[in-house]
Amino acid sequence: MNETQPMVYVVEDDEAVRDSLELLLKSEGHGVQTFATANAFLDEYSDEMAGCIVLDIRMPGMDGMELQRRLNERNAILPIIFVTGHGDVPLAVDAMKGGAVDFIQKPYKEEALLEKIHTALEQDREQRATLGQKQEIQRRLETLTPRENEIMDRMIAGQANKVIAIELDISQRTVEIHRSRVMHKMGTHSLAHLVRMVMSVKDRIDAS
Amino acid sequence: MTESITDSDQDRDEATILLVDDNPQNLKVLYETLKDRGYRLLIANEGEKALNLAERHQPEVILLDIMMPGMDGYEVCRHLKASSATADSAVVFLSALDDVDAKVKGFGLGGADYIAKPFQAQEVIARVTTHARVIQLERQLQARNRQLEGDQTRILNAINEGIYGLDPDGNIVFANPAAATMAATTADDLVGRNFFRLHFPEPAPGDPPLPAQSTCRQGVAEHQRNLKMRRPNGETFAVEYRATPKPEGADRYGAVVVFRDISVELENEQALEEARALVEEQRDQLAHASRLSTMGEMAAGFAHEVNQPLTAISNYVRVALRLMASEDIDRALAEQTLQKIEAQSHRASEVIRRLRRFVKKPASGKEIIQLSGLLEETRRFAEVDSRVNQVEVLLAVDDDVPDVLADPIQVQQVALNLIRNAMESTRSAASSEPVRVLANRTESGFVRVEVKDHGLGLPDDAEERLFLPFFTTKEEGMGIGLALCRTLMQAQGGEIGFERPDDGGALFWFSLPLADGE
Repeated sequence: MNETQPMVYVVEDDEAVRDSLELLLKSEGHGVQTFATANAFLDEYSDEMAGCIVLDIRMPGMDGMELQRRLNERNAILPIIFVTGHGDVPLAVDAMKGGAVDFIQKPYKEEALLEKIHTALEQDREQRATLGQKQEIQRRLETLTPRENEIMDRMIAGQANKVIAIELDISQRTVEIHRSRVMHKMGTHSLAHLVRMVMSVKDRIDAS
Repeated sequence: MTESITDSDQDRDEATILLVDDNPQNLKVLYETLKDRGYRLLIANEGEKALNLAERHQPEVILLDIMMPGMDGYEVCRHLKASSATADSAVVFLSALDDVDAKVKGFGLGGADYIAKPFQAQEVIARVTTHARVIQLERQLQARNRQLEGDQTRILNAINEGIYGLDPDGNIVFANPAAATMAATTADDLVGRNFFRLHFPEPAPGDPPLPAQSTCRQGVAEHQRNLKMRRPNGETFAVEYRATPKPEGADRYGAVVVFRDISVELENEQALEEARALVEEQRDQLAHASRLSTMGEMAAGFAHEVNQPLTAISNYVRVALRLMASEDIDRALAEQTLQKIEAQSHRASEVIRRLRRFVKKPASGKEIIQLSGLLEETRRFAEVDSRVNQVEVLLAVDDDVPDVLADPIQVQQVALNLIRNAMESTRSAASSEPVRVLANRTESGFVRVEVKDHGLGLPDDAEERLFLPFFTTKEEGMGIGLALCRTLMQAQGGEIGFERPDDGGALFWFSLPLADGE
């Protein structure tokens, strides 16, 4: 996986706000990329983009809420910090339900925004790390044969080798061989670790 | 002259001739000579009878013998001339006396002519005809004059305006009853008094001339309204007057002053003016309240408009602080950042200024407006809402659109109202077409501003109801907006209306009079 340098993506129609935010974030040592419209950002977007989005909720043309919907459709995990105006609380609530990590009301204190950006970047890093692990687990799971999968499900459900052998009408020895192959392919020696690994990707399995 | 058969016509047309002679033979000759010539002939053989007949019948011509027993012709003539009823009759003396003294005496007594005896029939007829005709005409003229005088008097008496006739010094020579009524006195009391001293306080040196004074002095006509006139009893009353010069000899003028009491009229005018002012004030208050209400609806948008520059300022300040804190200050960048801060603070204050100007009370009154600037300002105003409505507003004002004369705030209010309606309708129709605002000059000397949208369009009964108060097609609308717009446009001398464009949506327009009044 070839991820790009984490950046703060600023989507803001107001030129002055955009310019000042860019200067501010750069002065804080962040990588910054700015977009004047939601469409401009969507055109550039790729799954490899890391960091976070600072997104104005109200913009002419496509607004922040709509951009969030589009990104969700593309399973984007970039954390979004919504910048809202006075009286936009109901919108902000919807944005949070849509998966935004946070929102901040204009005019804001720069410390508060920088804090939120810091948190979002941290979260993105963790998410991406976790995602990397999950993708590794997923990759290993895909190497299992159907029989090995069947045996692994029963192992995770806590069935003893003897029970598995009887129910599948195979020898206990055969169960042991499959079991050893599963542990090897998944790269673990502990049943508890195997259970955690499988559970961590279960949502994705169910979803797909 | 035609013969008439009715008595009244005879009374009018037929001249009466009185023949006076003590000699029956003479009377007979005269009678024979004049009969059947269209005259009524009366006969007297002595002076007393003659006077009696003349008094009763007022003959046009009296043929009067001088030498009569008892009262002679001269005496009869003296009596005739002394009586107003008979004074105008033409007395033609008859006498054998053919001397100059007798003639002179006759003319001296007022005789009109003289016929010598013995009579020549043709002469008698000719002289009688001439004198009868002259007297008849004179009498008709007098009757006509009397009638005219009567009419004039009746008119002067009936007229509600007070009328004074003034001599060159301003003394009242005539006053009609209305003048007396207004002065609270009698016409007789007024005549002979001085108009200036009677009705006006003594002017101080340097004061303008009194009313009608220029008319009396220079023969200049005058007209003035709302002037105080004093009654002899000291009260004053408001008048309007006209003074017309009345030439009285070379370079001398009297005046005819016509005036009327306008106290009640002024009271009515004032009441009307007050009512009008009240209506205007209420209209302005309603307009102001409506502007405040609009601003309330747009509050979120305005907060956004102010928060944008504030946010930018806050960011820039942080950047500037960081720059200052570093060892090696980048002065150029610091200066640039400070300039950006300045620009943004101007931007914020501009929003506030625009807002304050819009909600200012009262409206500033009519002035010459350059429409492109005003509409651009209005568009920016509407842009505040366009963030919420997601509808674009495009402005196209012809370069040659001339300036208009109107109250800028009220025009902006109307334009903003129409644009916001258009944006709302566009959004409700989920259309992405922009709202277009056009302005161009009409042939009838107006500038017409159009606001066109591709929204929901208008209801079928819009024609009857759209501009009525409390009519609305919006769920949250009060139905004040368009009714108020119409009132405001009427106050500008403009109009407002709408059309249904072929390609859908609605088109609202308003027109304003040109500033140069072409």
